[in-house]
Order: sequence, then C-alpha cells, then structure tokens
Amino acid sequence: MILLTCIMVGVIFACATYLLLAGELKQVCMGIFLLGHGANLAIIAVSGSPIGRLPPVLGGGMIDRLVDPLPQALILTAIVIGFAVQAFLLTLLVITARKTRTLDLNALATDEKEKP
Amino acid sequence: MPANWIILLVVIPMLGGIGSTFFLRHMRAQRLIGIATLIANLIVAIYAATNVFTDLDHPRILVSQMGDWPAPFGISIVLDGLSALVLAMASIVVLAIYLYCLWQMPRRLSHGLFHPLFHFLILGVQWSLLTGDLFNLFVGFEIMLMASYALLVIGASPSQMRQAYKYVLLNLLGSTLFVTCCGLLYGATGTLNMADLARLSHDGLLPPSAIPIVALLLIVFGTKTAIFPLWFWLPDTYHNLPASLGALFAGLLTKVGAYTLIRTFVMMFGTPELHRVVLPVLLLSAGVTMLLGVLGAVSMKSVRRILSIHIVSQIGYMALGIGLMTELAVAGTIFFILHNMAVKSTLFLCGGIMQELSGTDELAGMGGLLKRAPWLAAFFFIAALSLAGLPPLSGFIGKWMLLKGALDTHHYLFAGVGFFTSLLTLLSMLKIWNAAFWSESPQSPSPAPARSTAAGMLATAILLVVTLSMGFGASLYYRMCTAAARGVLQPEAYIQAVLREAR
Repeated sequence: MILLTCIMVGVIFACATYLLLAGELKQVCMGIFLLGHGANLAIIAVSGSPIGRLPPVLGGGMIDRLVDPLPQALILTAIVIGFAVQAFLLTLLVITARKTRTLDLNALATDEKEKP
Repeated sequence: MPANWIILLVVIPMLGGIGSTFFLRHMRAQRLIGIATLIANLIVAIYAATNVFTDLDHPRILVSQMGDWPAPFGISIVLDGLSALVLAMASIVVLAIYLYCLWQMPRRLSHGLFHPLFHFLILGVQWSLLTGDLFNLFVGFEIMLMASYALLVIGASPSQMRQAYKYVLLNLLGSTLFVTCCGLLYGATGTLNMADLARLSHDGLLPPSAIPIVALLLIVFGTKTAIFPLWFWLPDTYHNLPASLGALFAGLLTKVGAYTLIRTFVMMFGTPELHRVVLPVLLLSAGVTMLLGVLGAVSMKSVRRILSIHIVSQIGYMALGIGLMTELAVAGTIFFILHNMAVKSTLFLCGGIMQELSGTDELAGMGGLLKRAPWLAAFFFIAALSLAGLPPLSGFIGKWMLLKGALDTHHYLFAGVGFFTSLLTLLSMLKIWNAAFWSESPQSPSPAPARSTAAGMLATAILLVVTLSMGFGASLYYRMCTAAARGVLQPEAYIQAVLREAR
C-alpha cells in the first residue's frame, strides 16, 4: 500500500517535471499544479499504511490504533494554499493571453529582447 | 509566563489588511488605517525588542502557545533575540517605505488594492519571523509571496508580466518543494516544531534519513534567498519594480530568506554531521554569489538595475557568515541583515527620488543632481559608502565581523573575495554618483520636478538615521547581535523556553 503510494508520488513528480520543462506557459502551470498534488500525496504517505488502523476521530477509544492526524491537517492547509495559488496563476494566464496574444515561452522571451 | 501579546505582531498587520480592503475607494481612510497600523506595529515591535533585550547579553525568549496546546503538538509563536532584532528593523523599514509610497505611489498601483496587499505582505513577513514551527513558516512564506506576486503583476505592462512569470513560477516551485520537505521531515522525525527539531539534532537523535531532507531544504531556502546558483530570477524581476516596491522587496523578502537560513541551518540542524553536508556548499555558493552579483552591478547602466543585482552580492555576505558558523561570523550575518535592510531600502528610495527629479532611470540621462538636490546627494553618498563598507558606517562593522570570522577560521580565499567585492561595490556606487550627481545635466535646461520631494526625503531620512545609528552605536548592536548569535548557536535556552513552558 505504502509502496504503491510512493510509486504514485514518483510518477506524479516525473510527469510534473516533464510539464515544467515544456515550452508553453499553460503546460508549465499545469506542471506546478501537478507538483502540488504530488507533494500532498507524499505528505499523506508519511502517516503510514492505513490498513488495520482507525480514522483519527476521538471517542472510539483505542488511541494507539488511530492514524496520525497531523499529516492530514498539514495537507488540508497545503490544499487550501494550493487552491489560492492555482486561482491566481490561472488568472495570470488569462490576463497574459489577453495582453500578449501568446503563451509560448520562446515567443514571450524574444518579444522581450526586441524591446529596449 | 506566556507572553501572549506577541501575537499582536501578526494581528495588527492582518487588521490593517482586512480593514483597508473595506475602503478600496476611499484613499484617505486607507492611508489613515495604513499609518495607524504601521505605527502601532512599530510600537509593539520596539516594545517586544526592549522586552527581549532587557539584559543586552542574555536575551529573553518570549513564547506563546496558540490555543494553549502543549509545545510540540500545538503551534508555538516564539520571539528570541534574532527574530526580535529582525522584526524591529523590519517594522521601521516598512513604516518608512509606506510613508514614501504615500508620496510616490506607483502609477499602476494607485487604485485601492495597493494598501491591503502591502499589509498582507507585512503579515507574511512577521509571521515567518515569529513562528516556531516549520509548517507555519511555509504558511507565512506563502502569504508573503502571494502578496508580492500580486504587487508585481497588478496593472503590469506585457513586458513586466513576462518578467514576473520567472519570479512567480520559480517561487511556486520552491514552495512546493518546501511543503514536501515539511512532510518528509515529519515522517523522518515525527515533529515539525523548531525547538523540538533543535533538541533532536543537538542530542544526536536525528535519523540519517533526515540528512537528504535538510539538503533539500537548503535548495528551497537558497531559491528564496537567491544565492548562487539559484539567484537568476532576482535581477530580472526587481528592476521592473517601482522604487518604493523595490525598496520593500529588497529590504524584506530576501532578508527573511537569510533569516530562515540562520534559523534552519544554525539553530535547527546545527550538528557536525549536517554541517559537513551543508557548510561547504554554502561557503562556495557564498563566494560565487558575492562576486557574480557585484560584477553584474559594475556592468549595469541604470540605477535600479545596479541596485537590484547588488542585492545578490550582499546576500553572498550573509551566506558567508552562516557558512563559517563561528559565533562572530553568525553575529556578523545578523548585523549584516539588519544593516542591509536599512541601507538597501535607503538606496532604492534615493533612486526613486533621483528618477523623479531627472525623469529617467538610465544613468546616461541623469546628471547635475548635486546642484539641484544637495540633500539627496548627501543621503545617497552616506548610504552608498555604508553599502560599500567604509568606516565608521554600518557596512564596515558588518563586513569587519564577517571578514574577521573568515580570517579566524583560515578561510583566506573567502576573506579575499569579500574584500574584493567591497571594492567593486564602491566602484559601482561611484558609477551612479558620477553619472547622476557630478556630471552635467544632459538636458538643458534641466527639467523642473513636478512636485516637492520633501515627503520622500523625510521617509528616506528615517532610514538613514537608522543606518547611521548602526554605524555610530555599533557597540550596542554588536552586543545584541552577538547575544542573538549565541542564542541560535547554543539553543538550549530556546528549547527549554518553548518545550518546558507547556508542562
């Protein structure tokens, strides 16, 4: 179970890296989003295998068998922040596309050099 | 005795930010809120600093546990010597910059959004400085960076937008790596509390699997601080900013990164095994950062570009002190951070006034400012010499501490590089001086300034007084910085204050 999660994290990070190296801004942003998901998955993997353990809700007794709740609290925060970042980045993409009519990184870079 | 009032340093800017959001169309109300919150913030920060430094050589440590949850489980807010010094300086710098912004508001930001973003940026900075655990450091960083992204792109022209992407994407990548590090570190050690992590590593209980995570943290903070080879985003972004925002970013953002480097690699992971991994990398990158930054500055041809790329070179000095890891060198780094926050902001603000007077930022288009604005010339001259490190100004003391630290530990090469960098710094500052102040004005008659620069000069003067106090009151600052450095190098008091208070 934990091995599978780790492999998943690896695959997601690999895909995200591939996207980050792409030549278009949309793909780069998607890479950032995907990387965020990979990070969240890595954090949840830290709390260990959930098999044979209980959700971290008090009242059931058996505190020693509860899943560690802290990583869940961490990713909850990370997801909220990630959501804000995604909203911001998407807005930025739309505005850039409207202003410059292109999202190709090379085109953006050459435009820059032509300007004084 | 929990010092719960230190949370005010987070609450005040938050109130300022939320409060000014309600008055987006009422400039006067926003300014009033802004000045009121920043002055309140300054008062609390100075009060906190005096409270921490009741005994100059033995700073107290103020701790507040959020929700009264015991320390390694809850969120701790901690104010020790290091964070108190940086916080006090930050609160002075932001007040001065805000006053300057009221005079010369960047045109693209002149609608109401500027004020809330300014306050949220300060909120992020102060949270990062106060927090006692690694995950909240991430949250503080995110708030600070989000505000800075927005300030960077709102109303930006297409070419500025392109530059902004470099900054935004790279910092987002860094943040994602940071949050991954937090998760992995929790998996390896079972805690994210800074005091608890410091206790583990100083007791030798840190598992070997934590070492690669710490190395990854170096990359994360290296990106945020802009040390070689992760500095390339900085000079491309900062010169696009208007002078006031340049001062804000240069004075706060990278310095918070340097503060985090001290907090992490000196205090939290200050063990010989980890230092064997981290210190050589930091030292080497410090040397290259110093030299490359200043070489870039010598080759640039506009005021803001020179100042922006200079930030990189100055960060090299800070990394040098951390890399040497002696008490004197770390104290030197702390002193240098404080000195740089004041001086760099002063120079950016001077640059803004120079631009206002001559209508351009290019050195070729400036000139004759010595006759037209003698006070500005004096301000710039003092700040520039302080940056270059001429006695008796503050830069000299900071560099003396760092270079003596390097000589004491027989790192002659790095001391040499540091000295050479100082000379080139002087050269690049003289370049601005010659072009803008001494040479004849290229346009004749020289253009009349649109308005009086008195308000901007007042804001700059505040910062200049702080800089001068650091030079002439050096012994006081020296003692405080040394005490703060001792506090992070031997964090027993910090650990006790945070962990024991809970019981």
